[in-house]
This record gives sequence, structure tokens and C-alpha cells, in this order.
Amino acid sequence: MTKEKHPIVADREPRHRLWLGLVLTLGTAVALGAAYLAAPRENAPLPSAATYALVTALPDWKLLEPVNEVVYGSRGFDTFGETFLLLAAVVSIVVLTRPREPRRGYFGEHTAGEREQQEVDPDERVDEEERATRAADTREQGKISSGPEDPDSAPLGAHGPERAESLTVVTRTAIRVAAPILAVTGCYLVAWGYSPGGGFPGGAVLLGVLLLAYAGFGRRRIARVARPGLLETAEMAGALLIIGTELLGLVLVGSFSGNWLPLAEPGTIRSGGIVQLFSVGELIEVGTGLSIAVLGVLSISRDWAPDEEGQESDEDDGQSPDEGGGER
Amino acid sequence: MIVANYLASAALFCLGLFALLTRRNMIKMVMGLSLMEGSTYLLFVSLAYRKASTAPVLVGPPHGRTPTQLAHGDVADPVLQNFCLTAIVIGVAVTGVFLAVVRIAQHYRTLDSDEVREMRG
Repeated sequence: MTKEKHPIVADREPRHRLWLGLVLTLGTAVALGAAYLAAPRENAPLPSAATYALVTALPDWKLLEPVNEVVYGSRGFDTFGETFLLLAAVVSIVVLTRPREPRRGYFGEHTAGEREQQEVDPDERVDEEERATRAADTREQGKISSGPEDPDSAPLGAHGPERAESLTVVTRTAIRVAAPILAVTGCYLVAWGYSPGGGFPGGAVLLGVLLLAYAGFGRRRIARVARPGLLETAEMAGALLIIGTELLGLVLVGSFSGNWLPLAEPGTIRSGGIVQLFSVGELIEVGTGLSIAVLGVLSISRDWAPDEEGQESDEDDGQSPDEGGGER
Repeated sequence: MIVANYLASAALFCLGLFALLTRRNMIKMVMGLSLMEGSTYLLFVSLAYRKASTAPVLVGPPHGRTPTQLAHGDVADPVLQNFCLTAIVIGVAVTGVFLAVVRIAQHYRTLDSDEVREMRG
């Protein structure tokens, strides 16, 4: 196996900058060790910020969870910034993974891409390897589409290779049982729990439900929900809800992230005032944002054509056979 | 002995840093970065710990105390738990962007960061 043909570093990965790495790591270890040994231990009194959160959570916000008071109340501005850091990361991922053709779905843009390729570069030659790769790809896709549209309509006990499109009936049944429970738990975490709050874990749970459905039933089953138009619109709506909630605090009570809603009794769904609104905004923002990021990374257009013999990537910038190349 | 957690966090951080500095496989670099992120979660949660304390939830207080008493008593530090939540979200964002870069680098048919010419620093 020569390096030029198969530059797979996992096989025999050369270390580099070993000594520099060792010295820097040891220096960091000494600095961190010294700092951590001087850090407050388990007997230290709580810092004043923590005491403030504990004392104000119940009377000022009617919240039973001081952590939620910190996240959506006293450090609400920090959470606001963090939300938009997440949004910026999602936008970066969308820009980085975006195919060049107009997007309608996360998967199955191959045909549109080929049409555009014809328009942009009609003289592109198709050599023997390209033909072989495309034929293999077509064979594989033909095998997938030859199965039933709905994996559940396949007869039980049928032998044959497991299709890439969906998992076995055992896994699908388990996902059918687990997914609704998970979805309800995620929403319960946000709406109720001990008190409102919890948009971040709730959003992550909803992403888990979507990924379970994707793994179990295939992309065709989730394509109606997981499409860019819907997810990106929902994410922007969540961002708008958060901005509106926080700005209304500035307008109505004179402080950004201030509470302008009436407070209900602790332990009820409306306790905490704007915390519930902010938390629902976070649920939408985190759930759709992470879904867009994961689906964007998953659906990046494949380019499995082998490298041409002796081709060196140093000279031929812009002429590489990459489908999505040229604009990085 | 919470200091053992602090030192474990430092060790995890250094392990991740070493992987990031000396590896060229980009997947392993992302793993190193994730180790460094994980070490901060361990540090924040350990810093929030207080001996003989309960979770910072003002309901069902132990030993017949009222929630108001609990607010002044021994509970774990809620601000550091909030820091940990923030760190997790930022960690996910960083890992996501890095993985998107790795997927794009696969167009060069390699995971070796040195082989990707535009990223050679």
C-alpha cells in the first residue's frame, strides 16, 4: 500500500512536533496543577453570586431551581449571548456544508447537482473511473429503492442483507416505544420539572428523537419534518422569540432580561415569568439548531471517486474533480 | 478529596492538548478538543460541590428545614452549574463546526491535516 494512492493516516499515523507537544503539555500541566491546588475546596463558603441566586430565586422569581434563576434570570444576558454563539456556529456549518445547487432537502440533491454541473461546465469529460464509480453508485441506489417504500411493509422473517435505509424490526419497535417517551420527557423538562427552564437539555432530547427516527426508519420517513425550509424558519422564530422576550424587559421594566410577566405560584407551569418564554425559545433554538448542524454534516455531498494517478494537489487548485470544490 | 477531581480534570485537559498538538488525523484532533471540553465540565461540577450539601433545588428540604433556610444552607453552587451548561453548549458548537471542516477536508480524500493544503499553517 503506497501513500500516494491511499493516504489514510489511521493506518500508520506519524507523530509530529512530539517534543514541542510534550513540553507545551507539561508546562500546561504544571500551570493547571498549581492553579487547581489553590482553587476553593469542598469546605469553602459559597461565593456571593451563588448566595444571591439562592436567596432571590424563590421570592423574586418564584423558581424552585436556582440554576434556572441563574440561566434565565441573573445571568440571562450571558445565556442570550450563548444562544447567538450557537446560532453563529449553526450558520457556519450551513455555509460550510452547503452544496452549490439550491437546497430543497438535506438529502437527495444529486440530480440537481448534476444538472447544474452540465450548465456550469458542460465540457467536463467523464473518464473510465468516473463511469465505474457512477455505475457502482447507481447499483447501490437501485438496490435501496428496490425495497418497499415503507420498511414496515417488508415481510417478517425475510432473509437477505439488511438495507442501509432502515434498521431491523426489533430496533424499529424499540424506537417506536422509546421515541414518544423521550419526546414527552424533553417537553416536560422544559415546561415543568421542578420549575420552568431547561430549554437546553429539552432541545438536545428532541434532537435525539429525530436522530433515532432517522437511524431507525431512514431519511425518507423524516424528510417531511427535517427539511431546511421548516427547520431554519423555526430556528429563526426561536431566535426572534428570545430577542423579543429580552427586549420587552428593556422597554417595559427598564432592564434587558428583566421580568415583565406576572409571577405564578412556585412549582406551577407559569412560575418564573419570562423564564418559561425564554426557555421555550431556547428549546426551539437548540433543538432545531443542533438538528440543522447534524443533518448538514451528515448530508454533505459524497465524493468517493478515487484519486487520479500521480495527481498532486499542490498545483491544480480549482481543477480538482471535487463536486463542491473551488469555492472553499 | 475533591482535589482529586481537579487533578483528574487537569490530566484530561493535558491529554486532549497533547493529542491536539501531536496528532495529524483530524478526527483524533476533534477527539482531543472534546477531551479538553470534557475536562472543563468535570472542573466546573467539582468546583460547585460542597461537602454534605444537596442539589440546589429549593423543594423537599432535608431535616425538616424550609426552602428559605435551604437557600442559606449547604447546597452546591448553582452559578458554576450554569457555567457547565454554557460550556456544554459552546463545546457542541465548536465540535460541530470542526466536524463540518473535517467533512469538507474529506474532499481531499484524506484526514491528515498536513495533506489539506489550504489549512497548512
